[in-house]
Amino acid sequence: MEENSIGQEQNNGEETKEIEDKPKPIKIEEPIKKLEPKPKKPLNIKESIRNFYDKQYKKLMIIPLIMLLLAIISISYQVATTGDFIQRDVTLKGGVTITIPSEKPVDIAGLQSQLSSRFKENDISARTLKRAGTDVGIIITADIDAENKENIDLFLSAIAEKLSIKLEEGSYSIEVMGSALGADFFKNSLNALLFSFLFMAIVVFAVFRVPIPSLAVILAAFSDIVVTVAVVNLLGIKLGTAGIAAFLMLIGYSVDTDILLTTRVLKRKEGTEFERILSSVSTGMTMTLTAITAVAVAIIFTQNDTIRQIMTILLIGLLADIINTWIQNVGILRFYLERKSRQTGKWH
Amino acid sequence: MALVETKRKIKKIFTSFRIILFIIFLLFAFVAVHPSPWNKGVAIRSIEPNSSAYLAGIKSPEKGSAPMSREIIKSINKVNIENLADYYSSISDLRVNKSIQLKTNKGLYRLTVKEKTKEITLNETIEKIITEIIQANETINGTNVLVNKTISSKIIVNKTEIISLGAEDIGIDVYPAPTSNLRKGLDLEGGVRILLQPEEKLSKADVDLLKESMEERLNIYGLSDIVIRSAEGLPPPLGKGEQYILVEIPGGNEKDVRSLKEQGKFEAKIGNDTVFAGGKKDITYVCRSADCSGIDPLYGCSAASGQYLCRFRFSITLSKEAAQRQADLTKVLDIVTEGEQRYLSEKLILFLDNKGVDELNIGSELKGKAETDIQISGAGMGLTQQEAVTNSLKNMKKLQTILITGSLPVKLEIVKIDTISPALGEEFIKNAIFIGLLAFIAVIAIIFIRYRKIQILIPMLVISSSEIFILLGFAALINWNLDIAAIAGIIIAVGTGVNDQIVITDETLRGEAAGVFNWKERIKRAFAIIATSYATITVAMLPLFFAGAGLLKGFALTTIIGLLIGILITRPAFGIMIEILSKE
Repeated sequence: MEENSIGQEQNNGEETKEIEDKPKPIKIEEPIKKLEPKPKKPLNIKESIRNFYDKQYKKLMIIPLIMLLLAIISISYQVATTGDFIQRDVTLKGGVTITIPSEKPVDIAGLQSQLSSRFKENDISARTLKRAGTDVGIIITADIDAENKENIDLFLSAIAEKLSIKLEEGSYSIEVMGSALGADFFKNSLNALLFSFLFMAIVVFAVFRVPIPSLAVILAAFSDIVVTVAVVNLLGIKLGTAGIAAFLMLIGYSVDTDILLTTRVLKRKEGTEFERILSSVSTGMTMTLTAITAVAVAIIFTQNDTIRQIMTILLIGLLADIINTWIQNVGILRFYLERKSRQTGKWH
Repeated sequence: MALVETKRKIKKIFTSFRIILFIIFLLFAFVAVHPSPWNKGVAIRSIEPNSSAYLAGIKSPEKGSAPMSREIIKSINKVNIENLADYYSSISDLRVNKSIQLKTNKGLYRLTVKEKTKEITLNETIEKIITEIIQANETINGTNVLVNKTISSKIIVNKTEIISLGAEDIGIDVYPAPTSNLRKGLDLEGGVRILLQPEEKLSKADVDLLKESMEERLNIYGLSDIVIRSAEGLPPPLGKGEQYILVEIPGGNEKDVRSLKEQGKFEAKIGNDTVFAGGKKDITYVCRSADCSGIDPLYGCSAASGQYLCRFRFSITLSKEAAQRQADLTKVLDIVTEGEQRYLSEKLILFLDNKGVDELNIGSELKGKAETDIQISGAGMGLTQQEAVTNSLKNMKKLQTILITGSLPVKLEIVKIDTISPALGEEFIKNAIFIGLLAFIAVIAIIFIRYRKIQILIPMLVISSSEIFILLGFAALINWNLDIAAIAGIIIAVGTGVNDQIVITDETLRGEAAGVFNWKERIKRAFAIIATSYATITVAMLPLFFAGAGLLKGFALTTIIGLLIGILITRPAFGIMIEILSKE
């Protein structure tokens, strides 16, 4: 079900991308169109997409709605089965993370199974650290009791034994997190996220001073976060403190395009309302596209977990934001303007 | 013609106030970062107290001093030192009492290599005659007078022998000479980070006191360059307001920091009354040199039921108030006689963290006397005699540290320990630079495809890269450590910068297409959008100051400062550049 919505995301990305190239061609095409006898039937693809986007915006709004609903269902399922709406990693749950730099190939599956059989009660995961395809080391995480130093030493010696290497101080990194602290971190980070959202909402209201358009911006940010959480869960990504920070970044980034859109549509007077929307799409999609490119480069080439997690969350969020801004927010805005003009009895 | 036009535009750009401001900031950043990639040699991180380097007059760098101001070792015995390997090889063949000529960028030092010795206690015993001057009451001519009396007594102690362990390390902790004023955070440089949580709520003054005494303790262990920060969770009623103390020791190891959590509440009591406590108020001087501290020559080591016990002693000087307290408390005590010795009826009991460390008999001559010079003693045990000596000396050092620095205002719990290997940090920096460049090229490519105008591309390139540099300059100026979180913050700041530049470009080009507005108006419109998104992202980052026990502060700070630099300095400069370059 959820895969569906990812697929839609990408489709829409392409749709809007094509629109993005619009503004220039329009100017060139227009005089030509006027010269020729109007070819009514064979509309080109760009034209028809543009037309569909203009006329059918209400129907299009089903996409973000379904996306949000699916995300909420999937998160609810997650809460019902695990009791937590995200999967927490050891930095939010307590445990150890051991990073060992090593250029030699390591039997990672063997290491994991052996460690898991020796420490049966613990959730252990091991994987290789790659940079642009080459091994640079291994990372092992385990939710072993961090307050007990003997446990950690035992765990370290088991790793050393399996890999037949010597683990000397300074040759590897170890991060130990107490479980009570992990829980504190988690709660604090969630609170921070909540306040970030609240502060952002206040600023948006203060700037636009009209309830429905402001709510549309806030809803877009909300949908971005919810959809991203759902996708992150489905991808099996375990979130750490850095991941929560990434959601904060997402709040900032996702409202960028919504602010651009709302400012241009509500506060500007030149051109028609739809032209202003299209110009926002063009600017906004350039912004999102550059961000996505940078983020994608980082995901492919980084060897650092913190950075990869932040970037993955941003990538998912930015993709979701394309739909939530250019379909959902645009839809609500147009809906609002239509109703407003009907009430005041005049057209824009 | 075109050339004249270009010249005119360039002149216009460089005379614009916004551009001048931007250039000034860029220059400041350059001075602050002080990049010097060809810096060679090894920099001094810290000097161990009482080491030969210390005695030669080399000093540990001042706390918080800029990396580029660090003393750098240029040559040892006229052999040039270019890197760590050179340094270690040149100090590898030290011989005792050999003199070393060490040249730094600040001066020339002559070090004499000390001998590393160890005092071991033998199983043989020896008779020792000790002389003491005691004061006694004597009746002379019917009146009671206090007289000084010299008595000698014979005691039997273990024989000790001092053995040489070869040359002692010259006591300099070094690292490769810094190539700029940027400080690498712990995840990039390697070291230990611990997060401590006080068991009870501390006032701000107590937190400062805590930080101060911890710093002093670490300094006694020869560790400088440490970062001690306090952090708090969301304050009530929004959160619990948890307090944390974050300690980062670049190049340190776990053993160094375990001692930090010990509260070190030292008290010397007679009965239930405290005579003196650890810290500067009661104790004005603690002897740490060999002549008045070490294994107690009077008692040495003894064996009992398979275990060895060695006693240590060191002298301290009490403040007048503490001495007076002692006098008042001893005045009322009785004198008891134990064999030949006369003691007071109560003992002086030393407590460390509410546990008794040692009990000392008080000589009868001290009754009612405000004596400021006191000897503190204790013991260490071990399965072998050598182990007992080592443990005893370790306990002594701990006790001395506590007596000097005083107790921490509260008990601390270690909640997190990270030990980070320097190898990973190096790898990370290389990787980060590579990714940064690649992402930059990719973004520039997209911008070029979108606008196909060199007069838009060039300002974007210039502004975005300067933005990173100004942000780094700021980090160097406020002594901020660049860690992975801070790098993430820089990425956001630059990413937002690119976004804003796209908005400025589109707004100005759109205005041009509409042909309605003058340039000022166009820039103003662009800034209306930029300012709003600036405000939202900034307020969204603020709560991070209270999350993750301060580990995310760096992230929040770099982002917020980066955005501020952007909206105040680099964005206006970009607007002007675009205006001048694109205007017909």
